[in-house]
Amino acid sequence: MNFRRSDSVSFLHNPAYYVRMSEITSNKTAKLDSAMQVSAASLHQRWRLLKDRLARYGIVIGGWGVIVAIVLIFFYLLYVVIPLFIPASAESLAEYQIPGHDKGKTVLLAMEEQNEVAVRFTDQANAVFFNAHTGQPILTEALKMPPDLKVSSFAPQSSGEGIVAYGLNNGSVLVAKHTYRITYPQDVRVITPVITYPLEEQPVVVDTEGGALQMLALQVGEGSTTLVAKTASNKLKLLNITKEKALFGEATLQRTESVLNLAAENIAFMLIDKEQRYLYVASADGNLSFYDISDKSAPVLKQLLNVLSPEQRINSIDFVNGGLSLLVADSTGLVSQWSVVRDAKNNPAMQKIRSFKVSDAALMKVSAEQRRKGFLTVDTQGVVGAYNTTAERELLKLPAAKVLPEAFALSPRANAFLLQSVNGNVNFWKVDNEHPEVSMRSLWGKVWYESYPKPDYIWQSSSSSNDFEPKYSLTPLVFGTLKAAFYAMLFAIPLSLMGAIYAAYFMAPSMRGVVKPTIELMGALPTVILGFLAGLWLAPFLEEHLLGVFVMLILLPVSVLGFGLGWQFLPKEVRSKVPDGMEAMLLIPVILGASWFAFAVSPSLEALFFQGDLRVWMKDSFGIDYDQRNSLVVGIAMGFAVVPSIFTIAEDAVFSVPKHLTVGSLALGATPWQTMIKVVLLTASPGIFSAIMIGLGRAIGETMIVLMATGNTPVMDLSVFQGMRTLAANVAVEMPESEVDSTHYRVLFLAALVLFMFTFVFNTLAELIRQHLREKYSSL
Amino acid sequence: MTTQDVRSHAIDMSSVFNGQQDTSAEQNESCIKVENLNLFYGEKQALYNVSMDMPKKRVTAYIGPSGCGKSTLLRCINRMNDLVDSVRIEGKILLDDENIYDKSVNVAALRRRVGMVFQKPNPFPKSIFENVAYGLRIQGINDKRTLEETVERSLRGAALWDEMKDRLNDNALGMSGGQQQRLVIARAIAIEPEVLLLDEPASALDPISTLKIEELINELKEKYTIVIVTHNMQQAARVSDYTAFMYMGELIEMGKTKDLFTNPVKKQTEDYITGRYG
Repeated sequence: MNFRRSDSVSFLHNPAYYVRMSEITSNKTAKLDSAMQVSAASLHQRWRLLKDRLARYGIVIGGWGVIVAIVLIFFYLLYVVIPLFIPASAESLAEYQIPGHDKGKTVLLAMEEQNEVAVRFTDQANAVFFNAHTGQPILTEALKMPPDLKVSSFAPQSSGEGIVAYGLNNGSVLVAKHTYRITYPQDVRVITPVITYPLEEQPVVVDTEGGALQMLALQVGEGSTTLVAKTASNKLKLLNITKEKALFGEATLQRTESVLNLAAENIAFMLIDKEQRYLYVASADGNLSFYDISDKSAPVLKQLLNVLSPEQRINSIDFVNGGLSLLVADSTGLVSQWSVVRDAKNNPAMQKIRSFKVSDAALMKVSAEQRRKGFLTVDTQGVVGAYNTTAERELLKLPAAKVLPEAFALSPRANAFLLQSVNGNVNFWKVDNEHPEVSMRSLWGKVWYESYPKPDYIWQSSSSSNDFEPKYSLTPLVFGTLKAAFYAMLFAIPLSLMGAIYAAYFMAPSMRGVVKPTIELMGALPTVILGFLAGLWLAPFLEEHLLGVFVMLILLPVSVLGFGLGWQFLPKEVRSKVPDGMEAMLLIPVILGASWFAFAVSPSLEALFFQGDLRVWMKDSFGIDYDQRNSLVVGIAMGFAVVPSIFTIAEDAVFSVPKHLTVGSLALGATPWQTMIKVVLLTASPGIFSAIMIGLGRAIGETMIVLMATGNTPVMDLSVFQGMRTLAANVAVEMPESEVDSTHYRVLFLAALVLFMFTFVFNTLAELIRQHLREKYSSL
Repeated sequence: MTTQDVRSHAIDMSSVFNGQQDTSAEQNESCIKVENLNLFYGEKQALYNVSMDMPKKRVTAYIGPSGCGKSTLLRCINRMNDLVDSVRIEGKILLDDENIYDKSVNVAALRRRVGMVFQKPNPFPKSIFENVAYGLRIQGINDKRTLEETVERSLRGAALWDEMKDRLNDNALGMSGGQQQRLVIARAIAIEPEVLLLDEPASALDPISTLKIEELINELKEKYTIVIVTHNMQQAARVSDYTAFMYMGELIEMGKTKDLFTNPVKKQTEDYITGRYG
């Protein structure tokens, strides 16, 4: 009788029993014993309570710690990212009367790098240097000009660099440059302005006819200087002076001259690009002539176009930093950006790539930043605006002067400006404009970059050139992330889910005991090894045996199914030799054989159907390019990394479907397959779903494999034969080389934040769906 | 089961029989014939040379102490024991004179003819409608009207229609245990089996649900041959026409319920029903 036995056992364990026993043996010790019993019991009770409480607090602290850590990470990312979206600000530092007003009217106002010294060039060929903060004159220097000559025109060099040119009334040009020497006597920085003459101290004769030059443009480069002047006879003369150095001996100057074939009466603006390849000539009513002056003796008119709507006038024109595009400011307050874009026949042509409605008043001046793709505008009401071309963003707009402005100077670092009004007042403003290049549009939308034929999504964060337009579009990175994850999941989901279902539902327990831990062990493989193998072994192998892989893709399932079918028809004596649930073992030689066959037969197939090389054939027939590091490689390598996570969770889910449900289904006459599809998978669906989501989360965040196997080209191409760059790999690649707190650095943090949000949203969504499924399908 | 319980059952037995209709007059044709059945779990033998006849459209109850093999025998009738690894069966079970252990028998088809209800209610995590329709759907019947008719008929058959007709799309897991068990019976009869095997169908239920299940069994026997395994001798006496007493894997005695409970032939049977062991 079972119950009696168990009853007597529990009787022995009952402490009351001992108490009773001791009562019988000795009355004296009984009291002591029972007292000890009681105190021991209460001590035990208290200890239990304490442990319980400690455990509770420990778990609460741990749980909250995790949440707090995640929130802190989130806020730190946000803290680094937020400055990207803060608009610029400006602060008026000083206002003073123009120094040296007896030296002539201002033709150019400029500042040096440190914003300490400013200079104004006057129409009397004087350079007046003054303290930018106070207006105190520092140095007034008359340029070295023959005394009998007069200034007839003036032009600063189109790309800045402190070079100015005075056109004289005898057809010659005086080129000067303001530079600053920085010394540190007694550890105090002293900036000394100097006027130098980059060509000769004597004026260079441009117009041999000797008339007054009405207008000038110049570009002084290393060894080569190009000047364009509008002569008294309304001709446009081009002069190139090239310094040629003989191997031994003195440098000689080589002059090349030509006359442009253009009626020059209405010309109001002339600009030469930095490379001295293109010349832009514009009339005030918007007719722009675009010349190729690569050959200085024979300028070619490439394009003649109108950059304005009728009835408007160009009020100011400037190069965007780098000289690849022009900013045209007109009388209606509109600034349009025109860039040289190569057309289908590789001919350069001007094209409007964007415009900014800056003001309702006419614009007086547009001034491009010297280090970035930004510009400032001044309108006739003294309102100053700061903009960035790439981001199409208005960063600042403020009334800087109360009366009509006359001259405007933007500091080389674009962090200060001077504004001179017609009444001789100068306003000195400090500008705080750290990250103008980023806007929602430039991050996510199509942006028309300079020299590109059309707007596009591009990530190209840095280049060797300072004039480079940074292209911070996160779209290709997000695309790459999703693409890599997609192909990885395409590889991993069928393999791991089917494996999980087989292992949990059909496999013999002894085999499952080996297979499951082995696959779980695969998950412990460092991804850097997988990436290394993928990049250095798998990628070249796939390139070599592409057809073999495709043949295998078809042959493997076919041979496995074929073997299964054939197995059914084998005599029972043969079949019964294989223990139930161990049949999968027989597939190992089948799979190996099929794979070998696929690779063995592929060269002849390639020769037979694909002209010997599948990749060349694809390229010729469909125009499909093959990249060695492509999505196929990533899909396989990352899929391999994801398989263990999906497999083990899905296997647990399928395995833990209650037995009574499968038995119930079988008892209704369902086949095992029907039971699996209609009951087991349904009941296991929350677990299978979360397995897939965990796999997806891993695929999205995975870094090393994509870093080593994708080629890291941020292209947006769905093709399986093209690579990609993912958010995670991008951060890993570029973070070490980005300057702390630069725009690039912050954009990388933004990429990390996007990645974080991605996984957060995915996981939250997955958890919600899983909860819902569990509510619906759990049956325990 | 404690000794106390068994005794009280034995005492109540006579009052139970008074209410039961006497079916002894008719001689029933047998539906299931078990012939010399031996069953082994690996090396261990669980059934010893069992032979019995179960008549058509009657309720046969298997009683006996835990581990006596009554559930094992029940599971043999629709070959659920096939699912257990290392099981080996010798002998025959004839369903309408056809050996269900013959090689040519399709197990899934057999189980459609021999439905089964388990101790613990096991509705699928689907709607009430889909649970009942499941047996039809796996046979490829998806016609909406057929399904609706069958679901209604089956739920009515399981005395569940009036309670559930407005909640057919609710998840079956939201039902009470008793309702779930009746749903499982409805699911089993939806495919119109010939035999219904009930493996302690009321052991996990409260007394009121148990009563309902028992009433249901009484109604169902008009259409189906029912075999029920029960621990509860009172229940066996209340619902069955025939009772088989098993002990240690052997069939000790089988006869009309009334005869077996009031006048057992074997000493072991008498000992058991009077509560000398349990």
